[in-house]
Amino acid sequence: MGPCRGRVALVTGSSRGLGRVIARTLSEAGADLIINYRQAGGRSETQARALAKELVERGSRAVAIQADIGQKDAVAAMFQQIGAEFGRLDILVLNAARAPFKKAGELLKRDLLELVETNYLGNVYCLQQALPLMQGRPGHVVFISSLGSRFALPSYPLGSMKAAMESLVKQWATELGDRQITVNGVTVGLLKTDSLMVLRQYWPGVERLPASAFVDLEDVAGVVLFLCSDAARSIRGQNLVVDNGLSNELLHAAPSS
Amino acid sequence: MPEPLISQATIYRAVQTAIGEALQIPEEKVTPDRSLIKDLGVESLDLIDINFRLEQDFNIVMPRKYLLDHVEELFGEGTAIDDQDRLTGAAVTIWNARLGSTGTAVHAGMSIEAVPALVTPRTLVMVVEEILATRPATCPACGKSAWTVADERFITCGQCGARAPLSTGDDVIRQWLEDFRARGGLTSHTP
Repeated sequence: MGPCRGRVALVTGSSRGLGRVIARTLSEAGADLIINYRQAGGRSETQARALAKELVERGSRAVAIQADIGQKDAVAAMFQQIGAEFGRLDILVLNAARAPFKKAGELLKRDLLELVETNYLGNVYCLQQALPLMQGRPGHVVFISSLGSRFALPSYPLGSMKAAMESLVKQWATELGDRQITVNGVTVGLLKTDSLMVLRQYWPGVERLPASAFVDLEDVAGVVLFLCSDAARSIRGQNLVVDNGLSNELLHAAPSS
Repeated sequence: MPEPLISQATIYRAVQTAIGEALQIPEEKVTPDRSLIKDLGVESLDLIDINFRLEQDFNIVMPRKYLLDHVEELFGEGTAIDDQDRLTGAAVTIWNARLGSTGTAVHAGMSIEAVPALVTPRTLVMVVEEILATRPATCPACGKSAWTVADERFITCGQCGARAPLSTGDDVIRQWLEDFRARGGLTSHTP
């Protein structure tokens, strides 16, 4: 009997990396899962379907739905399918992210649009579409942020979108408090996921930082699960830093070359 | 270009291995002209993984940005891609001049979304070859001209053992574009 039994959860961008671990953790806690991925016909689709199949075999309900959250119509179509198949939504984890890694002077209009569409507008579209399905019951929204919201990382314009979202988290928490919907953010440190492959292109040596500089995916997922549990119902509009202490120690942040 | 020290066949084998390992597919599935994206299911994160493996293999830095991104940064936004996200005539001219030999073709009006699918193992081999060809004539550490290849992969000075300094993939593309403009390659597109 998990704490999420009978609840329906959507994790955006959950075919890979952290999203995948969060989806699995919520499923193990009893939730039915919607696995979302952006790109049709590629590896994400294969992995999203494999995860949905795995969760179904373990006894939960799970589907994989393709949608680029940056596209309003695609988000609407995804939620229509969720409404038709599950009839409700209790947990929304806004995990999907996609960004150019460029210095400010190199950002083309196309890059800026991609940045804002996926990492800001897309999250707003998802929340807007989720609200009718969360009607009349307590619910939980968790936004996955990163230390880039507060600290400068090389070629990381995504940080500015994370900061904007951390601000929205407080706004939404206030607006939705009366409906017993909690909204919080989890500000994660360095993860050993595919994102590290990207980061090490711009931050040489990051992969050689000591193990203590990284936070386990399961640890992050555990905090997300906690924020989606009744025990956390009084935590509202907070952005919890989950970084294994990295941001407390200035010297850890320096690359070891 | 100086005489290659590492053969195209060696580079191709490394590309094949990098793709096979990154995607966890048998290397036989990787053939020179298969589209990484359309035929092998590669996504942007996989491409970064493949590039990282090649960087480790040859002690090089692969490009972080696509050719047409460089065109726009260098020659101005709108040069290569119009405001409807379609390729311009200048983009086609540049593409054909630079990548025509890899057997990929673009046309004006084509969506930019369709361009990444044109990357093939052959393109990656060409990029690696170009980077390796940027070794200087003489070793900056000892001044000798005695480049040799260590472990079949690393261009190294036979005299003092220093690794050859090589341009990054992005530098190679930028330099190519500057040269292309200097020799008048873009004149038909400038008013």
